[in-house]
Amino acid sequence: MGRETVDEFERELRQALERRPAPPGLKRKVMAERSRLRTERLRSRTVIWQRLAASLALAAVVGGGWVWREREQERKGEEARRQVMIALRITGHALNQMKIQLAAHHRADGE
Amino acid sequence: MAHDWHPDFEQLVDEHQSMVFSLAARMTGDRGLAEEIAQDAFLELDRHLGRMQSAAHVCFWLRRVTMSRCADALRRRRVRCTDLWIEIEEGHGASGEEKQSPLGARLEQMLSTLPEPQRAALLLRYQEDLTPEEIAATLDAPLATVKSQLQRGLKLLRAKAQSHLKEFVRVKG
Repeated sequence: MGRETVDEFERELRQALERRPAPPGLKRKVMAERSRLRTERLRSRTVIWQRLAASLALAAVVGGGWVWREREQERKGEEARRQVMIALRITGHALNQMKIQLAAHHRADGE
Repeated sequence: MAHDWHPDFEQLVDEHQSMVFSLAARMTGDRGLAEEIAQDAFLELDRHLGRMQSAAHVCFWLRRVTMSRCADALRRRRVRCTDLWIEIEEGHGASGEEKQSPLGARLEQMLSTLPEPQRAALLLRYQEDLTPEEIAATLDAPLATVKSQLQRGLKLLRAKAQSHLKEFVRVKG
């Protein structure tokens, strides 16, 4: 008797808890949200790539500028060194000429 | 691990929407929240679809995620048991769904008044027809705990039924 009651009760409970149909719009909503999320994910991935490309381009510009500036400074330094060497050569030549003239002058005074 | 199973997401939604929605609706007692939970569970399934190995794996995974989401939602909302049935009556049973016997409706109402762990165990046992071992795996709980929740839940439900439903009062002699 007790066992029958339990079985009957459990049977009734099983029947009461049968799966109910989902709301008619659920599948449509899931599919729409899935599509929206995929588009959003794709868009955000595109934005990430665009940002990465822009960052790389900016880094290339900054790096290129830095290299150009270094080379320019090097070139200017080289030019300045060359000019100093020319100036020294001219000065040396002038001093040499003056020394020759002074020696000639001394010789003339001695005679 | 490589596997050859390539499920169609739309077909999976078709197959399992009733299970996911029924579990969520009976656990939360809120039709709107149940729809949200079902939607979330399916969207999460979409993200993990590549890891699914079989139809049985999908079913187990969906039950597990749904129950976990319901527990989270109930923790957040702390829905009072008395409110549950009002919402079940207004929402879940509405909109031209199949007719339920008054006795079945009362049992469903009583189930909604049980403590959450007992309700979860009984739902998986009697709606999904799972064994205690499968329920333990789904709820990630020890088997002994699940068996005790099933026993206590059933006992409590029967006691409620006996005091409320004349149909189940069997007087000896």
